Amino acid sequence: MTEVLSPETVEDAVALLAEHEEAMPLSGGATLIAMRNASLVEPTHLVSLDRIAALRGITRTEEGGFRIGAMTRHCETAACADLTGSFYVLRRAAGMIANRVVRNMGTMGGSVANADPAADYLPALACCDAVLDIAGPEGRRQLSILDYVEDWYETALEEGEIITAITLPAPVEASSTYRKIARVSGDYATASCAMSLDADGQGLRVAIGACGPGPLRDRDGEAALRGKLDDPAAVAEFAGRLVALADPVDDVRGSAEYRLRLIPRLVTSVLSELTQQKEMA
Amino acid sequence: MMAKKVLHSLTLNGEQVDVATPSGATLLETLREDLRVLSSKRGCNQGVCGACTLLVDGKPVRACLTLTARCEGHEIQTVDGMGEDHVMATLQRHMVESGGVQCGFCTGGVLISARELLAEDPMPSREAVKTALSGNVCRCTGYRTIVDAVVGAAEELAQ
Ligand SMILES: Cc1cc2nc3c(=O)[nH]c(=O)nc-3n(C[C@H](O)[C@H](O)[C@H](O)COP(=O)(O)OP(=O)(O)OC[C@H]3O[C@@H](n4cnc5c(N)ncnc54)[C@H](O)[C@@H]3O)c2cc1C
Ligand code: FES
Ligand code: FES
Repeated sequence: MTEVLSPETVEDAVALLAEHEEAMPLSGGATLIAMRNASLVEPTHLVSLDRIAALRGITRTEEGGFRIGAMTRHCETAACADLTGSFYVLRRAAGMIANRVVRNMGTMGGSVANADPAADYLPALACCDAVLDIAGPEGRRQLSILDYVEDWYETALEEGEIITAITLPAPVEASSTYRKIARVSGDYATASCAMSLDADGQGLRVAIGACGPGPLRDRDGEAALRGKLDDPAAVAEFAGRLVALADPVDDVRGSAEYRLRLIPRLVTSVLSELTQQKEMA
Repeated sequence: MMAKKVLHSLTLNGEQVDVATPSGATLLETLREDLRVLSSKRGCNQGVCGACTLLVDGKPVRACLTLTARCEGHEIQTVDGMGEDHVMATLQRHMVESGGVQCGFCTGGVLISARELLAEDPMPSREAVKTALSGNVCRCTGYRTIVDAVVGAAEELAQ
């Protein structure tokens, strides 16, 4: 038996989570209710975040980036025409999550909190250098998405904390996209690649999904690759560094070895897609 | 163990219904166990199979992943309350004519997903139909006749 609580402010939600030891925050429920139905979790209280107006909506920040409320559904992100250029990757990833029905339910905050290694938002957000806004018993804080996943299903989120928003910093002049390798449409990724290519053709940001506990991003490698994107050997070396950082598992979606082979192919193929797009524009 | 029950006031297919349901129940449990509305099927109870799909405020969601407590003040529609809807009626007829229905367990969910697709994309390709129905598992038909039905309904509706 679970009691459902519906606070209307972030402060009340945090207080309720602190008050009840076995309470859990509930966003879309697409993962949490499925887990409860399977008796994998047995919370005494579910603190529903759906009545908290402050957690909703996608708004532009003063810096020209975006603040995406944690309760924003995947379907809203997938339909947000303002997410262009270096942020298009996030819109594209949202549209590839599961199917329309699940996209009507799941939220960005819930997906990030759940930190499934094969989920689509984490690599897309890593590619955008997103920042998480967090509220908890000790107050509010911000955390870079790159410091967020600590191990398999382990994150830097502390007991009793909730994600309130995901902030995208000021945009860079770039085009971006998301590629997902999955067995069938609607499945979780076997491997995925989020990439954004600077408009001047010099720099690149890449994050690989489903090949380790969290998204793989190699900023030193990106810096070394600057200005050498038309040199296949340099690109191959960069992809090799991502392979070295990867720590994939064997599962029903593919073997670890297959995933390691996908990484360089994804990097070259997505880079050539973005380069061609730029040449045609 | 008997779970503590709570009272909820819901809007189901345009009518106000009051129901006592276990605290923390899913909408699927409340509909099937407490209200005996059986059109939403319980397949996986995990959000995967699509057999429980219904509309909340006009949008398809999984009833097995939706809490009844969060439905107060929202409009719930099940497939049996949608017979008057022209698009739905056309889809239903094509499903029957093309052999898209065998045991019928998946059919309600398939129809709701298909109707959502046609609202957004009135002339979908076969590929688009398959993608839109990727969250609806059917263990009888092999899917081809279901895709035929959706494409056939779209063509008829476009005339
Ligand atoms: C059939 C199916 C297919 C799917 N396919 C994909 C896919 O291809 N790609 C993909 O990325 N995802 C996929 N998902 C997952 C989906 O995107 C979920 O919606 C998401 O992982 C969880 O989001 P939610 O809002 O439903 O969170 P919930 O289920 O409500 O919560 C998930 C977890 O996060 C905690 N939590 C929720 N909100 C917060 C918050 N704001 N702060 C802190 N903790 C919080 C909860 O306590 C819980 O532990 C799939 C899900 C289903 C059911
Ligand atoms: S019973 Fe809800 S999706 Fe299978
Ligand atoms: S007709 Fe039997 S499951 Fe689809």
